[in-house]
Amino acid sequence: MAKPAVETRALTKTFGVTPVLRNVAMLIDAGACAMVIGGNGSGKSTLLRILAGLSQPTSGDAIVFGENSRSLAAARRRIGMLTHQSWLYPNLTARENLEFYGELYGLTHREELATKWIDAVGLAASSNDRVREFSRGMEQRLSIARAMMMGPDLLLLDEPFAALDPAGVAIVGDLIRAAIARGCTALITAHSPLELGVDIARYEISNGRVIPMRDELRPRSRMGA
Amino acid sequence: MAAFAAILRKDLRVEIRSGQSTIALFALSLLIMVVLVFALNPQPMDRARDGAAALWVAMVFAGMLGATRSMIAENDNGCLRALTLSPIDPAALYGAKLAAAFAFMAIVEVAAVALITLFFNLEFGADLARLAPSLMLGTLGFAALATLLAAISSRTRAGDLILPILAIPLFIPAIIAGVKSSESALSGFPLAASSQWLGILIAFDVLFITLGALLFEHVIRED
Repeated sequence: MAKPAVETRALTKTFGVTPVLRNVAMLIDAGACAMVIGGNGSGKSTLLRILAGLSQPTSGDAIVFGENSRSLAAARRRIGMLTHQSWLYPNLTARENLEFYGELYGLTHREELATKWIDAVGLAASSNDRVREFSRGMEQRLSIARAMMMGPDLLLLDEPFAALDPAGVAIVGDLIRAAIARGCTALITAHSPLELGVDIARYEISNGRVIPMRDELRPRSRMGA
Repeated sequence: MAAFAAILRKDLRVEIRSGQSTIALFALSLLIMVVLVFALNPQPMDRARDGAAALWVAMVFAGMLGATRSMIAENDNGCLRALTLSPIDPAALYGAKLAAAFAFMAIVEVAAVALITLFFNLEFGADLARLAPSLMLGTLGFAALATLLAAISSRTRAGDLILPILAIPLFIPAIIAGVKSSESALSGFPLAASSQWLGILIAFDVLFITLGALLFEHVIRED
């Protein structure tokens, strides 16, 4: 059995007295793709933020590549994340944004990588435009490029298809499939079940609890004890 | 060091492109000077004292604005989270934000010195050059403190209000030392005459920079 890339143990998060996640226990094996489906405010984004170490659980643990999310060290470099916020600087161009993040991650050949990823998300014509001039969909595409250009081993994608036009959906779908094909683990959130053309373990999040969806095949991802 | 350079270069590039912080800081400094000139109506014998005080008032308030804007820029589109997730040392992030705030404040202070020279009828010359050590040390210390506190206040709803409430009391000893050493310089005394005040400013710089480097990671982390 593959070593888990992500594991949560009795993970609970409350904001004030409001519980958002309750005793979440999940295992996602390395190279697997999992999807958490739920409505607005159901806790999907909170779950991803905790896994990335950006938010602290109230109790329980989240383990990512063997490291506790409360103190991620080496694992941080292996995570590519997409959130509702683009994490892009409005006054920098698309190219400058990617090159900046590439420098933070110590990537060499940043110019070539930026060109490659800007092309990959279909923004070549806008590579030298400032992000503040971008539409929401263009920002989403560039955010996908930002998350993927570091070659992450774990993709945490919060509603990756939001705001995308059909062409954008196809591009981003291809990129996610390619990442999974090279062995990247992916945890995707969505409002409703999506087909990506790969094995996906689907979970439903409701009232803070994460449960596998009925009749779901889960070949490479499973609920924990 | 690469992360420090990358973040600082990014901040300077964004500022050169937009000019928002520098223009806002300069405008605020100018307004403060004008208000103080009318309020104090400086007499010839008090010009050095009043000019030094005006300079430091302008520096403190412009510095708070600069540090706040610097952190607000990181919160735009959630960029601070991206920096938190990236494998950079939080101390390098703090150092880069501090260096950027220092650079913006230093540019504005050059203009502020020119303004007090005009408004307070001071003479351009060696006295102004002797201002440099106290101003640079004061700016560095205030940038160090304000950057740390701006990171705290930027995560609160009433951040703009909280920053001065936190920053000014902590900076009062440095303000006293800075005003005294600046007054000494503008009065024509040699640098050695204000060495004790400069010593206090250096101690504050060391204290605030060390605290900032150690605490920044905890300050930017979310609950």
